Amino acid sequence: MFRNHIKIALRNITKDKMFTAIKIGGFAIGIAACLLITLFIRDELSYDTHYKNKDRIYRVVVEFNIEGERIKNVHFQLPFAEALVSDFPEIIKSGKYNSGALFGAGDKSLRLEGETQNRLEKGFVFMDSGLLEVLEIPLIQGNPKNALDEPNSLIITKEKADQYYPNGDAMGNVLILDNNTEMPYRITGVMDNTGLKTHFQYDFLMGISDQNASWMNSNYMTYVLVDEHTDIALLEKKMASVIEKYIVPALKDAGRDSDSFNTLRKSTFELQPVADIYLKTDNQIQDRLSHGDIRFVWLFAAIALFILGLAGINFINLSTAKSANRAKEVGLRKTVGAFRRNLISQFLAESIIFSILSFVLGLFFAWLLLPYFNAIADKAVLFPLNSWWFLPLILFSAFLIGIIAGIYPAFYLSAFKPINVLKGRLSIGSKSGKIRSGLVVFQFSISIILIIGTLIIYRQMDYILTKDLGYTKEQVMLIEGANALGNRTQSFKKQIQYMSSVQQVSVSDYLPIEGKKRNGNSFKKAGEGYQIGGVGLASQIWRVDYDYNRTLGIKIKEGRDFFIERASDSINSIIVNEMMVKKLGLSEPIGKKISNGFDWTIIGVVEDFHFNSLKIGIEPLALVIGNSPETISVKLNSSDINSSIEAIKKIWDTSVPNQAFQYTFLDQDFAMMHKDVKRMGIIFNSFALFAILVACLGLFALSAFMVEQRKKEISIRLVLGASFKNIYRLLTINFLKLVLVSICIAVPIGWYIMQRWLEDFAYRIELSWQIFVIAGILALGTAIFTISYQSISVAFIKPLKNLRTE
Amino acid sequence: MLLQLKNVSKWVQSGGQRVFLLKDINFWVNEGDFISIMGPSGSGKSTLLNGIGMLDAFSAGEYAFLDQPVHTIKEKQRAKLYKEHIGFVFQSYHLIDELTVKENLEMPLLYKKYKSSQIKALVADTLDRFNIVGKKDLFPSQLSGGQQQLVGIARALIASPKLILADEPTGNLNSKQGEEIMETFTQLNKVGVTIIQVTHSEKNMAYGSRVINLLDGHIV
Repeated sequence: MFRNHIKIALRNITKDKMFTAIKIGGFAIGIAACLLITLFIRDELSYDTHYKNKDRIYRVVVEFNIEGERIKNVHFQLPFAEALVSDFPEIIKSGKYNSGALFGAGDKSLRLEGETQNRLEKGFVFMDSGLLEVLEIPLIQGNPKNALDEPNSLIITKEKADQYYPNGDAMGNVLILDNNTEMPYRITGVMDNTGLKTHFQYDFLMGISDQNASWMNSNYMTYVLVDEHTDIALLEKKMASVIEKYIVPALKDAGRDSDSFNTLRKSTFELQPVADIYLKTDNQIQDRLSHGDIRFVWLFAAIALFILGLAGINFINLSTAKSANRAKEVGLRKTVGAFRRNLISQFLAESIIFSILSFVLGLFFAWLLLPYFNAIADKAVLFPLNSWWFLPLILFSAFLIGIIAGIYPAFYLSAFKPINVLKGRLSIGSKSGKIRSGLVVFQFSISIILIIGTLIIYRQMDYILTKDLGYTKEQVMLIEGANALGNRTQSFKKQIQYMSSVQQVSVSDYLPIEGKKRNGNSFKKAGEGYQIGGVGLASQIWRVDYDYNRTLGIKIKEGRDFFIERASDSINSIIVNEMMVKKLGLSEPIGKKISNGFDWTIIGVVEDFHFNSLKIGIEPLALVIGNSPETISVKLNSSDINSSIEAIKKIWDTSVPNQAFQYTFLDQDFAMMHKDVKRMGIIFNSFALFAILVACLGLFALSAFMVEQRKKEISIRLVLGASFKNIYRLLTINFLKLVLVSICIAVPIGWYIMQRWLEDFAYRIELSWQIFVIAGILALGTAIFTISYQSISVAFIKPLKNLRTE
Repeated sequence: MLLQLKNVSKWVQSGGQRVFLLKDINFWVNEGDFISIMGPSGSGKSTLLNGIGMLDAFSAGEYAFLDQPVHTIKEKQRAKLYKEHIGFVFQSYHLIDELTVKENLEMPLLYKKYKSSQIKALVADTLDRFNIVGKKDLFPSQLSGGQQQLVGIARALIASPKLILADEPTGNLNSKQGEEIMETFTQLNKVGVTIIQVTHSEKNMAYGSRVINLLDGHIV
């Protein structure tokens, strides 16, 4: 019996090649898309799941409540980690790290002891041995209990160890960082983090040299390992005692008033599970880590389900639409003795065979597409073909989906009454027509929502990447590792400044790109107490040089820029941005004094410019003259960038023969900063395209069936004098009605979802009606295009063939 | 003369050989004729009728309809010719199930670009003439076979064609219904409508004024 089922199924497959191709091909495309998304999601969810104690590792987050405004922060004081262990018995271990460029983390030039050639390396961080243990850093050499206890100790990755010491043991060797021969670093450990999925991605771990055990400065990300069976909520509450015990006395010593204590007392602590850090960290938290986004995971999961759903609907639609052709078979089988359950099992078997074929093809598609997908998604996902669960899971899914997709057609087809079928009295029920219409509306609604999403994501991406940022990012070259110039910095700057292809040069590490040096500070009006709940105005204070504003094209709104001729400018002059003026409530700001513990006189106000990712708004900012010589910005003339780079490189090579010339461009860095937005946009758009393609395939096949089913009616009409135009309209209009209904359903849903998505951006496009009109027109256009092929094929119908009496 | 066939043949290729469905058919039809085409199954009756109706082309020979050489004119003109002058009646009625009686009648007129006032008048006339005014809002499935065929004839006649082609019009009807349909044809013929019918039945044949007997594609 079963062999018979398979035989019939295979014959049906070969009988009608186009429909088989659409049925299996469409399903396979859906499965491929679904599989890729599943692999992507699996990869995103696999971050930080490798720890032995993964349910007991937490990152500490504090939420300030400053006059009703809630601000989350993950930076704590140096002694905070130790205090947690000594004060709370539930906390077994704690650890901390500092990744601030201000303190020397980030990029560093590096050379082996006894050599002269420097190389620029990225990913330096200061941390303690405690964090080695808490985060279970996989050391293959060195002791995690004390490897980073000394300030000049250094742990490097196995990859770097192999690179620098290709034929020897890296352990115990000495490295010179940033030409600082007074503080050589000794390698006390080698870690092998290859292939490790973790939010903590640093290649060089340095011991902490910071001796400032003050409770006033917060620079350390702090992690804890808690005891089993710890009540986390309770522990979070208890942790607040740290404020009263340590921070308030420190503030008192510093002479702060009681307002600031009261504000601090309202703070709450939160323990963020380590597995949540990668995907579930608030945008507001600035931890200099690269994050995924749980909402995208959900979004993609939804798309995967949709695509599978669309493909499944095609499958059902095509099977039931084909019913007229199968009805005779059903009638005959029943008259020769088949029971309904025989037929149901036959149709289910057929559906499962289709499903398995689709899965095989889908796996093949996914395998073909995986490299492209990895390139788009910036991932290194592999096909888990070797995993024991993979093939059984695929087979099980094929069975399950085959049954789900086949169950409706099976019951529908097997219900035909033989007598009606054999007498040719089969009226293709209007009921099944309604269900089919409903499914088409469902498919098109989803497609239109995806089109709307695609358009809006594209527009938002474009908006961000081309937004007027308040500074000029084009043709600004950033020379990295410039602290290697040492005392030759100014002469180097002069030399390239005089080049005709160079407009301006500025020496400053503080740049309007995320991940560059930052320095947070709190400001107040000079001579007054700290406002804003007693903690002052949280601001950035950046050390720049005299040419900074001109090099980056930052506009002075009031007052003046720094002048090198004015001696006082390098002592107590400050330039602030509009936001600072507004937040401090300064009217007539020029000449006013503000203080961060030191009194500054405002000499100028710059227009607000975006120095964070556009997901975040503009914060208060102050610029002062100072030395921060790691990065040199060079504004070039537009003509012939390449020869300018060559010329500057020549000057660099004579100034710093022992370090390679390294540079990027500001606009590239800016694009990098928003690459997650762009990447997600591209992934979303690709899959949206997939979904639309699947929906169109379905519509195509369905319109073909519609034509097939109505062949007789069309023939009658043709014989009675209908023109091609009449018939085309007749066939198209019904589908167009469905598409219009879909538009009505999809637009409000799409509007709502995309409104929510945009809320994530501090700067965003307005949702205009044009987008929805374009989406509607696109959907209609696609539908007309898809249907037309079939409607036009009607022109070649031979009426006679369909009017013959059987 | 309404139409004339000269040495008309129709064949299909089967396994490299020509299989003749019709061979060297010669006959003519005058306006006002009522012709019955007789013959056993497979003798080529329907093929001949479809060829006359221009739904299918003959393979060879000359076919003149209203002095126009159908075998040489273009497809488009041919379609125009039959849409204007020929009405079809089918054995299984071929009414459109989704349309009411009235709408089924309107359809050919709509396609022939009649004005709506004209359509209304013609439909009303026809309903009246065939005595089916009471059924105008019913769907085909609500009618008996005889009534359905009556609507089919009414639809074929509504745009006043010169020729009615009927392929076993009573094949699906019982004898009483069949008689009624044949009576209708006779009356139509009396007022000048030319009719060619294909039939198996001697009884129906008798209604015609001339009989053409076909056997294996030849006139006998």
